[in-house]
Amino acid sequence: MDPARQFTNRCACGWEFRGSLDAVVDATIEHGRRIHNMEASRAAVVEALGAGEPTVPPEEAGEPGATEP
Amino acid sequence: MTRSPVGWDVDSPVQAEVFVVWLDGDRLRLTGPDGPQPWLLQLGPTEHPVEVVDRIVRDVVGPPILVHSTSWRRDRDAVILSFVVVIPPELVGGMASVDIERAELARSEATAAPRDIAVGAVVEHGLRHLAWLVADDPVVAAELPPDWRPLLAAYVPEPFRALG
Repeated sequence: MDPARQFTNRCACGWEFRGSLDAVVDATIEHGRRIHNMEASRAAVVEALGAGEPTVPPEEAGEPGATEP
Repeated sequence: MTRSPVGWDVDSPVQAEVFVVWLDGDRLRLTGPDGPQPWLLQLGPTEHPVEVVDRIVRDVVGPPILVHSTSWRRDRDAVILSFVVVIPPELVGGMASVDIERAELARSEATAAPRDIAVGAVVEHGLRHLAWLVADDPVVAAELPPDWRPLLAAYVPEPFRALG
């Protein structure tokens, strides 16, 4: 997997995170657990991200990080 | 006060919908970590809804003054338990807030749930429930700051009910 690939996940509450696959998965699991009492597996997050396909082309990717609503 | 129709969302069969309310001078305001939109929590099959709401609110916002379930309805392919959570002003911090406007209630038919239930109707009923509690429940009467009473007096008291 290309480590430069950037992914974005958005929660229905408005939270958004962009970064590497591992960073997005970790941030999503933490957001779900802390804010929504959700216990999500890594596989479930990866599936929600689109079976591992990038949602942001590397050339368009900016600094990774979270966006609050 | 709407949620984005995106893929990542609470999806359990029973969910808690939290309305975080605080008193800003003489105005009741709605807030939360997601701003004033309903704050949804997933509820597991063995979890007590009140304990989950209290724990998550304490962790994310801080210690609440009151946590009360006020209604339930069917929505989002789930049973939604609505909670009014009262917090002190000092916990609001940078969370976005909006004034709570009065709203019409979603009235049931004699043997059927209302067809449409707006978020404003759920909040309205929650505050009417709180108005009932402050007059009926000594714990709520003792915990709720006195300056809430004249504002809640404007709400017609109602006990817990099913909205759908």
